[in-house]
Amino acid sequence: MNKKFVKRWAIGIGVVLAYAIMWNVAQVDLIRLWQGIPRMLNWLSRSWPPDITEVSTFLLRALETISIATLGTTVAAICALPLAFLAARNIHSNRLVYQITRSILNILRGTDSFVFALILVAAVGLGPFAGMLGVAIHTTGSMAKMFAEWMENSDQTSLEALHASGVSKSKTIVYALLPNAWPNFTSIALYFWEFNVRASTVLGIVGAGGIGMELKNSMDLLNFSRLFMILLIIWGMVTIIDQLSASLQRRLQ
Amino acid sequence: MILRAEQIRKSYHNEKSVLSNVNLTIEQGQFVALLGPSGSGKTTLLRCLTLLEKPSAGRIYFNETELLNLSAKQTVEVRRKWAYIGQRTSLIRRKSALNNVLAGRLNEMPLWKVILGNFPDADKEKALQALERVGLKDMAHQRADRLSGGQQQRVAIARAIVQEAVVIYADEPVASLDPESAKRVLADLRMLCEETGTTILCSLHQVDLAETYATRIVGLSDGKIALDIPARLLTEEEKDRIYTREEQTNGDSRTKTTTS
Repeated sequence: MNKKFVKRWAIGIGVVLAYAIMWNVAQVDLIRLWQGIPRMLNWLSRSWPPDITEVSTFLLRALETISIATLGTTVAAICALPLAFLAARNIHSNRLVYQITRSILNILRGTDSFVFALILVAAVGLGPFAGMLGVAIHTTGSMAKMFAEWMENSDQTSLEALHASGVSKSKTIVYALLPNAWPNFTSIALYFWEFNVRASTVLGIVGAGGIGMELKNSMDLLNFSRLFMILLIIWGMVTIIDQLSASLQRRLQ
Repeated sequence: MILRAEQIRKSYHNEKSVLSNVNLTIEQGQFVALLGPSGSGKTTLLRCLTLLEKPSAGRIYFNETELLNLSAKQTVEVRRKWAYIGQRTSLIRRKSALNNVLAGRLNEMPLWKVILGNFPDADKEKALQALERVGLKDMAHQRADRLSGGQQQRVAIARAIVQEAVVIYADEPVASLDPESAKRVLADLRMLCEETGTTILCSLHQVDLAETYATRIVGLSDGKIALDIPARLLTEEEKDRIYTREEQTNGDSRTKTTTS
């Protein structure tokens, strides 16, 4: 009993200590937050009314963001499907292929679209194409991992019944696994689509196209009514995409 | 003799054996009910016999062929004569009953035809006849996950018919069904056994169902064969031989988790 008691206290103190260190490292300063409030209120008052003079430009930029996210997600889905098969333990028994694929996916997943876009802008030049490639590369990693995990956790009994009757792996995948997988894979892809529309709004900051570029310009010029208009368009865009995705999800059931 | 298991032993990670020295010979056309409390090794025995798991020791013969030393390719050849029905549905959920039955023909089809989903008309006819035999012809175009649990198991039986399986292994196929559905499933298995001479090895935990539908009852208790008789009403003493161990091992969660 005493041993357990000591262990619990040790864990508790350790956790508190870790938070204290991080609090310091992150330079959390509540006084600065307090002092910043009047400035933010001032900005807020200057943001009304929203500046509608450039709405058509913003809408065009929003379309750019949606295009980046949609094309990026689609390319990622196409690349992720074959990779997912290599990264699923129940599909093949080659440990080496599994490990290599998983490592590659972890690198892709662990590097944000934003970071890929930053690098790709240098490689293919400024503009939405770099953004789209960044989204596609990062999302391929995340999506393939989720596809693979779905396959590993999916209902094994139907696959096992065919396996036990001597049906080959490839036929089992084509006839039993994929028909059950499609709705789930589509649902995963829609989730990433929504996510990427939101994530793509900042790509413009590194010059990778979309509405983020206008966002950064407004902030640089401290033009808050312009900034507010852009935010309104982003909120509208995200809401529409989420609704569209949700209605597609419902249709999959 | 169609199937013979000799001295089958199975243990996991050096723990107490789940199966110890199981000997079992099954003749063609028998409907063997494998009775036993949960944790007695029924599932493990079925999984060993179907080569889904490798026994720790022993030999398994199917039509005089020793199975445990076969190559992967030879294993596939042998398995084509087997059908396997699990406790939970073994159907492809989003496919129709008919297409699930047609899965029994996958072994005869080249991959490209499977990709196109292009079954010969003769196969479709066969599949419909099989569904008729289990009384589900009207349900042919229902999606599998819209069928009741009992109907799903009967579709799995129809799949075994179309596959022309010589042996059907069924692991607690009626465990999650209501009594009426359970009886229909077992009646269909019995029908197949009588009309086609299909050999059936089916684990059950309800004694009365084994007494009614099987032709032979094998009782498993604590990984050993405790009873092996032609099917008839069991005496209290015979039931005790299978089930009394359960009370002693009730608190023993290890033997339960390894076999269920």
